[in-house]
Amino acid sequence: MGDSEIEICRNIGDQKKQRQDLHVLAVDDSRLDRKLLERLLTVSSYQVTFVDSGDKALEYLGLIDNIDEENQYQTSSSSPKSSLHDKLQVSKINLIMTDYSMPGISGFDLLKKVKDSFWRDIPVVIMSSENLPSRINMCLEGGAEDFLLKPVKLSDLRKLHSHLLNSHCQKQDKDSIKYKENTTLLETRPLPVLSMN
Amino acid sequence: MEVGQLQRSFLEYIAALFREGFLDGQFSQLQLLQDESNPDFVVEVVSLFFEDSERLLNDLTKALDQQNVDFIKIDAHVHQLKGSSSSIGAQRVKNACITFRNCCDERNIEACLRCLQEVKQEYLLAKTKLEALFRLEQQIVAAGGAIPILDEFS
Repeated sequence: MGDSEIEICRNIGDQKKQRQDLHVLAVDDSRLDRKLLERLLTVSSYQVTFVDSGDKALEYLGLIDNIDEENQYQTSSSSPKSSLHDKLQVSKINLIMTDYSMPGISGFDLLKKVKDSFWRDIPVVIMSSENLPSRINMCLEGGAEDFLLKPVKLSDLRKLHSHLLNSHCQKQDKDSIKYKENTTLLETRPLPVLSMN
Repeated sequence: MEVGQLQRSFLEYIAALFREGFLDGQFSQLQLLQDESNPDFVVEVVSLFFEDSERLLNDLTKALDQQNVDFIKIDAHVHQLKGSSSSIGAQRVKNACITFRNCCDERNIEACLRCLQEVKQEYLLAKTKLEALFRLEQQIVAAGGAIPILDEFS
């Protein structure tokens, strides 16, 4: 990644444009909270995919195979590597936001499974209506990027976005790593703003 | 009634709802998310709250009527109701739910029944007031006016 792209990282004014490239997988069993989160994320210029359970989230990420229905993410190729790659092309998730308490697997369980998988570099944010320090610590220690108290507000998303951007820039500065496709917050292809004359 | 008068009535009404603790800052957050592209956002979200609440209050009534009361299930329902009310800023309903959960912890059926009554009452009050608020909004829009936003910090 060149100097000019790092510059863009730091340009707060470009955050909105960058957000348009970001695809969030949002997980919440409450219809009301999904509607609220959808509006918050859309207003903040994110693209959102919603699922109403941790199991559906895992399915979407290709971490469970759905044996009952036809799995739209499966490919005809028998090679596991290319099947995952195809799943990546379909999903292209940059951020996961999940409720903590859900029927079935909890947000914390989902966090652990994601962190144990190919998706481990995707930031996972946990939301909860309960302000329990023990829960918050457990989630952060389990690898959660952030823990948001519900009801989530626009200001929470703004802070989250700055935080994600900063930690991405710090990572850039510290070690000039080659980022795997789709595990980066920002696309490695030039951003639209680069082509300004 | 002319638009200006309707708008003033609306502002007075909503100011009172905040002052009396029926609504908290979260309701203002909902209003911020409403715009020309989503003009009915607040009504839609509040409708979901009404649906959730009525279902949960029914479930709670049934659950407390059982021979063997399942306090874990009751706590789960109250937790959901607390979540919904908190998400729309229905402060008094939310607070009644918090009290209810404390009774669940104590596994006291009598106290839980009283709490349920309290939550039902607060819910009905909130519903009545929100519906009145939405009617005022409709009158303003019908008269060709814009719905004013209350600056709750003024």
